[in-house]
Amino acid sequence: MHVEEFRIAQFGARLGTRLEGEHARAQLESLIASLPEEGQVRLYLDGLEVLSTSFADELVGKAYQRVVDGGFGDRTMVLDTPALELADGIDVKLAQRKLAMLCRHDGRWRLIGFHTPALAETLELILEKKQTTARELADELGLQMSACVNRVARLADLRLVRRRKIGMKGPQDIYELHSILEG
Amino acid sequence: MNRNLSQLTVETIDDVVQQVLVRGAARVDLRDVRQIDPYALLLLTLLVLEAQERGIASRFDWPQSPDVRAWMRAMGFFRQIGASIASPSAGRSDALQPVAEIDDEASLGRVVDGFHDRLAERYPLTEASRRTLTAILIELFQNIPHHSNATGEVADPHGLAAMQDDDEAITVAIADKGIGLRGSLGLRPGYEEVSDAGALDAILRDGISRFADAGRGGELQRIVGVVRSWDGSFALRSGSALLYFNEQGGDIVDAPPFPGVQLAIRIPLRCFDATSVDP
Repeated sequence: MHVEEFRIAQFGARLGTRLEGEHARAQLESLIASLPEEGQVRLYLDGLEVLSTSFADELVGKAYQRVVDGGFGDRTMVLDTPALELADGIDVKLAQRKLAMLCRHDGRWRLIGFHTPALAETLELILEKKQTTARELADELGLQMSACVNRVARLADLRLVRRRKIGMKGPQDIYELHSILEG
Repeated sequence: MNRNLSQLTVETIDDVVQQVLVRGAARVDLRDVRQIDPYALLLLTLLVLEAQERGIASRFDWPQSPDVRAWMRAMGFFRQIGASIASPSAGRSDALQPVAEIDDEASLGRVVDGFHDRLAERYPLTEASRRTLTAILIELFQNIPHHSNATGEVADPHGLAAMQDDDEAITVAIADKGIGLRGSLGLRPGYEEVSDAGALDAILRDGISRFADAGRGGELQRIVGVVRSWDGSFALRSGSALLYFNEQGGDIVDAPPFPGVQLAIRIPLRCFDATSVDP
């Protein structure tokens, strides 16, 4: 998978206003659009002192909204932060937009934004297995198949997993589920 | 209500607004004032400008205390109102951050950096305090270019900000005399008839903004949460409504009508103590 880095500190250490965020977003969206299908942008917060909620929304919230809405095809976006407090503004604004994003801190991936423990639990298992099916997940999580399918569909809608159709069982599509993280 | 005032603060400055804009007092006696907070200073600045624009010929008798006059001068008050007032050489001033003008979004970074640097010179900010306070300043300051003249009907909203410390707390004040919360929120469908108090309530309680975009709004609501968590106090005045709370509680009360939005946050000094718990 093609992964490109985008360091937000390139725009300054204390950010900032919506205007600043809007300028930065033009560069971010240009980078996302330049990626091959299924490519990924990894946003880095290192080097930042302050990231306001307004800047966070203008840069990350709005760009990620386009990613989730399918404006960039199957491309994805994740976050990497040296301190969780730095990601607070992004967390708040993603939640306000009812979006969730994978965020790495201290070598561990977690969900920020709008999510539930059930969604996080399911995603964690998919990341761990890298590739799986709803049936496998339902068995391992002890869930009814319909509940598991709903969770997976929500994760796919949020661009947190990739779903590939591999067949049909009766009237139902059968999907293979893939982590959006490389390796 | 032409009483002698010894302090100009959130609690008392509206007496002066009342005297000038409602009663059209010929003379406003501030000679006995011995203390002014930044919120009152900014509102007084805008009041003088508003009175001039309306052709109200109130004469202000400025504080006689040399220290208060020296502080007002150091804060840039007399320059802002276009007056040249002698301040006795004996006066002492510990002005922290003089009145800064907030004109447009592009210059906000410079203003925020100025506030940050002046605060950092006087207080050993913790990393978390610095981060939170700077983010708060950015959000508050940019409300002026985003909202104070959203309808384009105001010639100059006169966006101002200032900061001062005392023995117990740091007060940051931001003020303008633009269209106010009601004027801004009223641009959103469904809020055209909102009252001043209703706009205050919708913005602070529900996080509503004039923008329909899901990512907009909620900043003032979050700032109120932070100030509460710091046991600080918060004042937000717009039109004829004033919300004020401190650690003992608060409410929305009526105020004499005044254009724009005036806001203050007061943060206890212990929040800036590196040995205290990070906010």
